[in-house]
Amino acid sequence: MTVRLRYDDGTIRIDADEPLPPLPGVTDDERTGDVRAAAFRYAAIRRALEVAGRSVDDAVLATEPLALSTAYDLRPYQREALDAWTDADRRGVVELPTGAGKTVVAIAAMADRDRPTLVVVPTIDLLEQWRSELEREFDVPIGQFGGGQQRREPITVSTYDSAYLKADDVGESFGLVVFDEVHHLGGEGYRDIARLLPAPERLGLTATFERPDGEHRAIEELVGPLVYAVDVDSLAGDHLAPYDVRRLEVDLTDDERERYERQQGVFVEYLRESGLTLTSGSDYRKLVKRSGRDPRAREALLAKQRAREIMMNAERKRDVLEGLLDRHREDRVIVFTAHTDLVYDLSERFLIPAITSETGAAERREILERFRDGTYSRVIAANVLDEGIDVPDANVAVVLSGSGSEREFTQRVGRVLRPKADGGRATVYELVTADTAEERVADRRR
Amino acid sequence: MLRKDHLRVSRAGGGYAPRFVDDADRPLAERLLETFRSHVGDRHGDLRTRLDELEADADDFKLVRGLASLLEREATFETRSPLPPQRARRKAFEAAETVGVATDSERERALEIAADGLGVEPAAVAESLYADREDEQVLVEFEPRWDAGPLLEQYNLSLAQTALFDATEVRVRSADPKRLVTATKRLGLLYELERTDAGRELVVTGPDALFRRTRRYGTAFARLLRSVAAAPEWRLTATIDDRGTERTMTLTDADVTVPGVEPLAEPAFDSGVEADFAGRFRSLDLDWTLVREPEPLETGTSVMIPDFAFEYDHADFRVFFEVMGFWTPEYVAKKLSQLESVESVDLLVAVDESLGVGEEIAAADHRVVTYSGSVRVKDVVDVLREYETELLADAAADLPEAIRPDEDVIELETLADRHGVGVDALSKPTFPDHERLGGTLVRPTVLADLEDRLEPGTSLEAAEDVLRSVGITETSPVLSRLGYRTEWNGLSGGTIRRLDGDEAS
Repeated sequence: MTVRLRYDDGTIRIDADEPLPPLPGVTDDERTGDVRAAAFRYAAIRRALEVAGRSVDDAVLATEPLALSTAYDLRPYQREALDAWTDADRRGVVELPTGAGKTVVAIAAMADRDRPTLVVVPTIDLLEQWRSELEREFDVPIGQFGGGQQRREPITVSTYDSAYLKADDVGESFGLVVFDEVHHLGGEGYRDIARLLPAPERLGLTATFERPDGEHRAIEELVGPLVYAVDVDSLAGDHLAPYDVRRLEVDLTDDERERYERQQGVFVEYLRESGLTLTSGSDYRKLVKRSGRDPRAREALLAKQRAREIMMNAERKRDVLEGLLDRHREDRVIVFTAHTDLVYDLSERFLIPAITSETGAAERREILERFRDGTYSRVIAANVLDEGIDVPDANVAVVLSGSGSEREFTQRVGRVLRPKADGGRATVYELVTADTAEERVADRRR
Repeated sequence: MLRKDHLRVSRAGGGYAPRFVDDADRPLAERLLETFRSHVGDRHGDLRTRLDELEADADDFKLVRGLASLLEREATFETRSPLPPQRARRKAFEAAETVGVATDSERERALEIAADGLGVEPAAVAESLYADREDEQVLVEFEPRWDAGPLLEQYNLSLAQTALFDATEVRVRSADPKRLVTATKRLGLLYELERTDAGRELVVTGPDALFRRTRRYGTAFARLLRSVAAAPEWRLTATIDDRGTERTMTLTDADVTVPGVEPLAEPAFDSGVEADFAGRFRSLDLDWTLVREPEPLETGTSVMIPDFAFEYDHADFRVFFEVMGFWTPEYVAKKLSQLESVESVDLLVAVDESLGVGEEIAAADHRVVTYSGSVRVKDVVDVLREYETELLADAAADLPEAIRPDEDVIELETLADRHGVGVDALSKPTFPDHERLGGTLVRPTVLADLEDRLEPGTSLEAAEDVLRSVGITETSPVLSRLGYRTEWNGLSGGTIRRLDGDEAS
């Protein structure tokens, strides 16, 4: 009578002495002679067996209850978010603007459930930040996958990359999984993380759930639907610092302009000859594909790249930055740029601590700690700081080159949305090179 | 393996073929080796600039990058700077904080403060700041394991492995299927054997492949290729997920070989339970030989390779043995009956008590043993003994009623081996031409001859020599048959005497 359930490498294996009722996503496996389902079906399979009145011998999860508590006093909207998630059978996504305390919602959920939990985050910086936050709050050892460590504890923080590699090995160890910046899960590969984990309870956190590619629908199946959302405007003033955006145009020098036009010319010339218009993404992919075989297409792409570098690295951006640093001597400033080489260039020029993907874990931690405790008042970062990283009290951001993606832009601004002690307005400067393709990108976002 | 963006494939005709290198690419390989050699002592960035130039000259920049990436692994780069860079940075940033650097002169002041604190010149601080970045590091040593030939061979292997990153399933035919199965299991992959016109083929996927076409196991397939390519003859067909389009890639031993001598995969066991069992079984001296991963067996629609086979030393007979972790009584019963009906082989299974309903199954069939923790060798030996008894009975039933060996003298043990039976089975037939004396058959003419050559009073030693000269080693039953007994003289030896007295002849 009893139905037995086991976890096996990212799948659930099922057997019973009598025929099984219809179960979601369950298939015969000729390779092993029994039946299986992908692990994320676990909760639904349990529910279906319950409805069918079958007794279950369930060895899927190997977890012991924890005793967690939190000292956080939830803000009203954080409480509402937690309740909405609980009401949705503890599967779903909470959308809160950056700076509105998404972490606190997750911590409250974990304390409420007392289950071994895996927290999945997109960057090394967030990994560090979550780990120290969880250590402080729960006073238990916190495991870590990623950033050079692979140590499992009942509560473990992992990067998306490490979770992708380890999900089928550690699936049985966690009853709750939290996906920070859950929109990442829409990516084809990362979906496996949610598919291969059996954890019945799932919480997604994001500032922007909808993806232009529509892949948030996949997230709905794997994590749950959007159960709670609150937008920036309804929080602004009360919980978020007001901020201004200032756009500064920078001209190329004559020499830069000449080199830029020459490289851009090579590129445009090739497009004209080959009949590509680049008005669609597919034309661009065609060009990249051709460049693998056709040396002229490759030359065109390289020329485009050189043109972009010229305008990204525009000499006068340094001058403008010098002016901004001069003006904001008493402020706490974060400088962003997408180009690693430019980060180091500016770091050397202004002696500002730099954080890029090349920065080692220890040095990265040291710089962020020193920024938090006030030893440093300025920091320059490549895109590694894009998402959710907690840098309290920064009130000036300088964005040196934009990529045109709306999410990236809002989340960068989010960095300075933290409430400020003196209530002063935060400022985001956006430095754009005049009369170039880059400027058109910045225009598009307005 | 190479980086994905260095992959070179041809999709001509809708196929998917890695663009392998051959002797024509040798000059390029030589040139790259020389480039690395000549840049020992230079910045990594300078080496890269030179490699970029080679790329521009070459027909295929991806080939240059791929080969260079293999060579880079053979090179050692080190940071060379007046101060440890991280220390220099920390001091400079701290100094900058006190100054508040915006202008050039403020920068210089900050560097001076930092240099003072470190007891060096400002230039040394500035020079050290990012000397540990990759481009600033110095190529200090380049000692490649390969020259141009093996480099190209390594490239082809790496290229094929990289192409497999996007595979969702591979099918392999190999001259060394056992190694393949072992490697497959070790990599956490699942396999089935399928019968095709060209022979039995191993179909390899991963657990999750049941639910979706996934590239998740691509890196495992890439690693599997090393084991595949170590066989003398093989053919691999991969289903490639080429950005959403399904394509087929075929690789053979003509495309890819493993350069140098690779350490062979150790005889790996799936689990501690199996390894432990094999060790303990082999330490016993039984009439059965333990074989790892014997030939594949058909089980109706699918196929299995059992963990072990026990081969009987005295006959052409084997019992297959499978240690089952996950199982159900129905599953075990199905496996056993399928094997019996389809392949007519004998299978013994060991099932983990904690994972199923042990009692039901143990009662159902003597060919199942249960275990918890480790398999008891005694349980298995008991089952094998039952087979032995059956085998002996079968063999005895097949023996002729009368046996007439050609030899004048022959030991029963030799004769039993000849007929593939145990000695016990020889109690049934008759031996019309021989007399059975203990464990030896002797022709009457030999006995007559011996009778003439022995006489009472001969030393036992001399008498035994006579018997041995005709091939009899077991002497006392023969002496007794000829009417002699042994009179022992202390411990040293004896004299043969007539059984019926000691009269003189």
